[in-house]
Amino acid sequence: MRYIVAGYVVILGLLFLYAVQIVWRRRRLARAVARVVATATATAHDGAGDAVATSVGRHP
Amino acid sequence: MSDLEPVTDRTHGSPVPAAADTGPTPPPARSARSRATERVIGVLALVGTVFTVWLGLWVTPPDRTQGDLVRLVYLHPGVAWVALYLAFGLAAVSSVLYLWPRTRSLFWDRLAAASVEVGVVFNVCTLVSGSIWGKPTWGVWWAWDARLTLTAVLLVLFLGYLALRRIPAEPEVRARRSAFVALFAVLDVPLVHFSVNWWNTLHQGATVLNPGLTLKIHGSMAWTLLLGFVSLTLAFVWMLLVRYRIGVLEDWLDANELDAALAERRSEGAGPGHTVPSEPVGVA
Amino acid sequence: MWHDAALVAGKDLRIEARSRVALSQVAPFGIVALALFAFALGPDRGVLARGAPGLFWVAVLFCTVLAVQRSVSVESADGARDGLRLSGIDPAGLFLGKAAAVGVQLLVLEAILVAGVVVLYGARIQVPWMVGVSCALGTIGLAVTGTLYGALSSGLRMRETLLPFLLLPIVAPVLLAGTRIWQAAMVGGSPGDGTQWLRLLVAFDAVYLAVGVILFGPIQETA
Repeated sequence: MRYIVAGYVVILGLLFLYAVQIVWRRRRLARAVARVVATATATAHDGAGDAVATSVGRHP
Repeated sequence: MSDLEPVTDRTHGSPVPAAADTGPTPPPARSARSRATERVIGVLALVGTVFTVWLGLWVTPPDRTQGDLVRLVYLHPGVAWVALYLAFGLAAVSSVLYLWPRTRSLFWDRLAAASVEVGVVFNVCTLVSGSIWGKPTWGVWWAWDARLTLTAVLLVLFLGYLALRRIPAEPEVRARRSAFVALFAVLDVPLVHFSVNWWNTLHQGATVLNPGLTLKIHGSMAWTLLLGFVSLTLAFVWMLLVRYRIGVLEDWLDANELDAALAERRSEGAGPGHTVPSEPVGVA
Repeated sequence: MWHDAALVAGKDLRIEARSRVALSQVAPFGIVALALFAFALGPDRGVLARGAPGLFWVAVLFCTVLAVQRSVSVESADGARDGLRLSGIDPAGLFLGKAAAVGVQLLVLEAILVAGVVVLYGARIQVPWMVGVSCALGTIGLAVTGTLYGALSSGLRMRETLLPFLLLPIVAPVLLAGTRIWQAAMVGGSPGDGTQWLRLLVAFDAVYLAVGVILFGPIQETA
């Protein structure tokens, strides 16, 4: 019977640990994305003071 | 590409507005409905698994021949089915769909990658649960039985797939490479199956793994078995959804992180009053 | 396609003839592998003789990895790979040619290893034609899959470590079949023992040959 309980613990433990890991990974990535968007937006807005410059979208 | 041509988000087909001065486009947000669905599936999977454990370990009676060992059968075929057929099968189909020009979309590639990663986890669970069952039953932790060997070969094949994906490359290049590897791995499965089966017609221990108790199965055992299958399948789906989202976010970061950092550097040097051109990149 | 295949095979084999890498490096490595097996399994020649089929085929697999690596690296200098693609050579022909070159090299290596196994392990081969056929069919399978995976990994920085990891599980059926056929050849039983394994080898070869001919073009574009 110990084998059975060990089996259940190991299998479900593995699955549970993986589940925790992917949730944590997703959260960490979402935060990183938010950071990138925030910095880029802030950076872009730094140039907003110059009206002429902002109307030019991208340089080839 | 002209300045004003809208960048098309190839995944979803919708044009991404050229954001000249509002920074990179964030990745598509998940709708409230998709988040709710994911939560529901997750909860159902969890509840189902807890019930399976309760039923499996306490409520159901021990088997006439196997005794308490039968309790592992509530989990083992379930994880095996998820890994071998559901996960790797889905990965193979997604890979084909990615390679097929008509349906080519990085969505399939990400789905395949997510499916393989989750499948590998379930594959490990399959081998471990089988091994734990095998020790008291056959006295050995491992046997070169057809099923075991095939499952182990599958694990190695798809670990190779994951290793290949780690190598940095353009998303499309990586997707094609991975798709080919997945395809070759799948083609090999029937071949290995035949060879290992022929190899092991000597010690036909394989039949022991079959739940032969389906014939004289006690009511509660059948239900527990079914519940185990369903719960594990739901768990797979939930994990797939989360892992897929991780793929989307990772790809977006790869595409945009450098640009954002560069933009930051440039703005530090330029000072106020200068526009920093930013190249919006949708998650393709 | 066949013309292109012959061209490419001829080129690769000529390179080998001039540089003699397979002969001077891979073959000795194969023999060293056989020696290492002997050290590992102990002085009992009975064990070695009985294990000869498996040990032979494992040594062949090691040599295959090296031969394929060599086949891939030949193209990496001087933009040779781009040159090949620009030259308009039929990709299927390129595939068949490279696979053929690797196959020929492997056959030579196998001949050496067979001699090694007979001499070093005291293996007794009762039915030589089975050994020959298994080597021929096995070689085709190894060369074909090796070329496919070599092409897939040709652009990668971690090719050296990744290629064996990817390739060896795929050729597990060849290992199994080759070993079983050799065992039948050594025991001298009726050929019937080995025919189902021969059928497996033929199926393996056919599947991967077809896949290679069809997909080699797209695979090349990935590298």
